[in-house]
Amino acid sequence: MSDKKQGSEPATEKGHGVLYIGMDLGTSRTSVSASNGVRETVYSAVGYPKDVVSMKLLKKEVLFGKEALERRLSLRLYKPLEKGVLKYSGDESSAEAKANLKAAKDLIGEAIRLARPRKDELVYCVIGAPAEASVQNKEAILEAAREHVDSVMLCSEPFAVAYGLDWLEDVLVIDIGAGTTDLCRMHGTMPEETDQVMFNIAGDAVDAELSKLISETCPGAQFSTQMVKEIKERHAFVGESSERCIVELPVDGKPTPFDLTDQIRRACSILVDPIVSGLQKLIATFDPEFQARLKNRVLLAGGGSLIKGLDSAIEKAMKERLGGGKVLKIEEPIYGGANGALKIAHDMPAEYWEQLR
Amino acid sequence: MAGLRETMREAVRKLAYRTTVDNLRKRGVEQVSIVGLDRISRLVEESVHRGLRSRLGGLEREAAADAAKAEFLRLIRSNEDLQKSRSELEQLKERAEEEVDRLRRELEQDRQALAKRLEPADLGEMARTEGENARLAERLTDLFRVLASEPELRLGHVQEKVMELLFDAVGTERKAADAMRRELEDREVELLQRRIRKLTETLEQTETRLKEVSSLKTIEQGISSVYREVQGLKTSEPDFEARKGLMSAIFEANLRLQKKKA
Repeated sequence: MSDKKQGSEPATEKGHGVLYIGMDLGTSRTSVSASNGVRETVYSAVGYPKDVVSMKLLKKEVLFGKEALERRLSLRLYKPLEKGVLKYSGDESSAEAKANLKAAKDLIGEAIRLARPRKDELVYCVIGAPAEASVQNKEAILEAAREHVDSVMLCSEPFAVAYGLDWLEDVLVIDIGAGTTDLCRMHGTMPEETDQVMFNIAGDAVDAELSKLISETCPGAQFSTQMVKEIKERHAFVGESSERCIVELPVDGKPTPFDLTDQIRRACSILVDPIVSGLQKLIATFDPEFQARLKNRVLLAGGGSLIKGLDSAIEKAMKERLGGGKVLKIEEPIYGGANGALKIAHDMPAEYWEQLR
Repeated sequence: MAGLRETMREAVRKLAYRTTVDNLRKRGVEQVSIVGLDRISRLVEESVHRGLRSRLGGLEREAAADAAKAEFLRLIRSNEDLQKSRSELEQLKERAEEEVDRLRRELEQDRQALAKRLEPADLGEMARTEGENARLAERLTDLFRVLASEPELRLGHVQEKVMELLFDAVGTERKAADAMRRELEDREVELLQRRIRKLTETLEQTETRLKEVSSLKTIEQGISSVYREVQGLKTSEPDFEARKGLMSAIFEANLRLQKKKA
């Protein structure tokens, strides 16, 4: 890992090579792809021991990802991103905001460590940020990243996904994260504000809906948000299910099986309508000559694209509302953003990196 | 290319880890799929060739194949160097640990020796030297001679005189023995304490060195990037102009953002 801060060390001392890192900083997961072949993902959770006792027990000052979630009872747990942006953006002087900013910085540092950079290599990083993140938020992300890399840039997440797949013209990207769903229209130039649509109905909203449905239909069942998220990640689907989703939940301390097939289908289906509305808005405002082409080039990315049958459900809704359309699920939903950011980092000319050091 | 295939096989073999069937069974593995080294190296070779065939022309393909081969061999060598330096550092660490153990054992032995030395010495032996016996015998003889010359010899008087002589003799010897013991103890204690101080100091130094070796960052944990220098778009790439414009737009946006922050 690069220990240096910006401008504190000449490039000549890092003569071994240059490591490019593409990062997808997400509400639920943070993924990195690097030019040394490393690809890693970590849950966007950061935990600090609550007291001296837990510190001695855990033998660490900070825990990340799954480990932090598993040990959360002994930790002050932070999920520093919410709805795709840093929670720090509100009242930045509050203790909670400061703690979230520190957690975000530590998380970015951990993501870069996971890429296993050498000390003697320049580290250039591109981070996929939510399309509509505020300037303050982007500045906070840059500040956090600069402590760990030699030069850093931000780019819009859905743009990174499309760039990574070499789909630069007449493409619609749907990036379903945990906090937000981003839709982005690509037409050969940098997408502008009018090319992007973002809404908060995404993975977390599905979790909330599923929690509500389980509460309503499974009397006595006890569960946490994390348990619901795990159920969703394992069984998520829309449309027809090939098998029943039988899940054990404790009732008065006893594991009890529940058939959650319908609840999961209904919870996941809440994504379809707002996505198709967003697509309709972006297609309807596009050059009419190219609208048909755009409709047939819809890319489905992000963790939400792992929902089985979602591509078909969107196609079906597009047929009803837009007269047709073709949705293509990307091959690696978890790493789509990070891979694209890595490609941008690779293609960025040297002088641009130098100017931002 | 046969040499490269062999190197690749060797590299795969080095990167693999060994386990036993029992271990796998314990982890719940009932069946395993086996891919041979030959098969892996053929697959890698084939995929590289297919990639090159589909993307590059004849000359470029040759150049790229040569460059890839050179880079692959360089990575293998770099990996071997890394393994070697790691092995050396591990040996150094082992030696330091052995040294610490030896010093600890030596220190314990010295501590035990000191404790033993500090126990009251058996001074009876020293008091019963031949010369002392002779002197005592002479004094007793003199005493009895004087007593024998007295006109009236009383048993109580004899007893009193003998006890007086004995107390005097014993008192003198006791003083001498005490002085000798104190001197001996002081000398040995000082010696042992000096040695313990020295050993403790050495132990501390060695432990510090061991900690330093253990936390040495010279063992490079990172993985080399495939790039030795900054890349950037190549003019031969499809949509070069469009991509260049996109890169420029991203850069400008970031420049504005970072300048604003500065």
